[in-house]
Amino acid sequence: MKAPAVATAAVLLLAPSLLRADEVLLKGGAKFSGRIESQTDTMITINIGDGVVGVPMARVDKVVKGHSPLDEYETRAKALTEQDAEGWRALGRWANSQGLQAQAREAARKVLVVLPDDPEARGALGYVKQDGRWMTEEESYKARGYVQVGGEWMTRAEAQQVQASAAAEQAVQDAERRANLAEADKILAEQRADKAEERAREAEEVDPWTTMSPWYGGYGYGVVGWPSTATVTTRYGTTVPINKVNPK
Amino acid sequence: MKRFASVLLVRSYAAAVLALALGPALADPALAANAPATGAPKTAAVPAAAAPSTALTVEQIVEKHMAARGGLKKIRAIQTLRETGRMTEGPDKQALVTRELKRPAQSRFEITLQGVTGVFVSDGTKGWKLNPFDGDFEPKPLPEEAVREAAEQADIEGPLVDWKAKGHSIALAGRESINGRDAYKIQVTLKSGGTRTEYIDAKTFLRVRVDSTRTVKGHPVQVTATFGDYKKSAGVAFPRQVEISASGRPQKMRVVVDKIEVNPPLAADRFAMVDLSKP
Repeated sequence: MKAPAVATAAVLLLAPSLLRADEVLLKGGAKFSGRIESQTDTMITINIGDGVVGVPMARVDKVVKGHSPLDEYETRAKALTEQDAEGWRALGRWANSQGLQAQAREAARKVLVVLPDDPEARGALGYVKQDGRWMTEEESYKARGYVQVGGEWMTRAEAQQVQASAAAEQAVQDAERRANLAEADKILAEQRADKAEERAREAEEVDPWTTMSPWYGGYGYGVVGWPSTATVTTRYGTTVPINKVNPK
Repeated sequence: MKRFASVLLVRSYAAAVLALALGPALADPALAANAPATGAPKTAAVPAAAAPSTALTVEQIVEKHMAARGGLKKIRAIQTLRETGRMTEGPDKQALVTRELKRPAQSRFEITLQGVTGVFVSDGTKGWKLNPFDGDFEPKPLPEEAVREAAEQADIEGPLVDWKAKGHSIALAGRESINGRDAYKIQVTLKSGGTRTEYIDAKTFLRVRVDSTRTVKGHPVQVTATFGDYKKSAGVAFPRQVEISASGRPQKMRVVVDKIEVNPPLAADRFAMVDLSKP
């Protein structure tokens, strides 16, 4: 059975450059590669081998159709028996070379069915051997005394420094925010006083209902000025991005 | 609709790679601060007695370094560069990466994982990204910090080439053993004020390691990049293997460069912010 496995591996190594996938190219150069599942005037969906992604057509530059590595993987996987560990190993390596991690993991799991202690397949699934037993990467970090901060594993000493830096940064930001609010309150108070004075003066001259600014004070976020496309000023005097006010 | 599972993984990858992408001469460690990495390789000071009797000046070391890379004439002839390879963090995380550089300061980096390709671009003064891993389907400006670092690192040939003309200063800071090999330690102060330590192999005169300090989330992090497997393309030596680590972190990020193209045609619009108003 050795010869067929080697032959399979050879074919797999030769094949990648011949393959093309369905590709959805976004304006700006990013792209999705896989198997297109549906397309309408507004949306295109593409199976990337680890799920299906929906992309608004408004963001699509062009769509190129072809035979995808995902198709190729599935074709070759169907040709392998459950016991062909070397065939699955070769297929997993090929999937990795194509950036198909989910398929590489699937192939590694097939290898482990036959060879439960296979280092390459264990590694492909993220296992590391420590103190004579297989464990996940995270378990190994914990066992070695690392801690996770903000998604990163690091030593406890490093974590303390990172957290101290973050706390110091937060303190600076809080102080700045308090100072800004105090300044804004002061400006608002001055504006209110000015407005009150102005209204009192105008009340003696014209009908008040025709001149009141509809966006002034108390409505929604209390826009006190005409909002720009970039930012608006809240009733607390703070300036925030407009997408925070009107989230899409 | 099923959310693709690899996205979360790639978000951290992309940040790391972005940093990697925007530096010169592949994997500039000063930009790899976000890289998941591990502790620095073992180093040891070389005893004075072990040093050769004929001491070299820092200028002579840089001169020999340039010769080892292929010579200034060939290095200066590089106008554009495309590197294609694989980036891994552990045996189960691998992405396909491509980096394009163009003088004077343009860079474009693409990372592909599980059929999804993200793009990060800088012209040295501003930058943008189109990163589906963050759920983005339209370009967004790069954070100020990334642009600033990109500008600092937008030197296709590295800071030691024409260092004086570029306004940098250099000083020999002794010698160290890097992974068992004797290396000159050169302290580089960039014109921008940034500093880094370059280690030049005392025998081959190729760069074997760079140390730098980067600010990550407000915290200074020591980042180390080691270089190996040098091969020449167009007469210039390029490292084909790069390993990046950060102090106190167990992870290591490795890049294997499979292909280097010197002076490929790279149109200017590959580095220009895409105009979404155009149909």
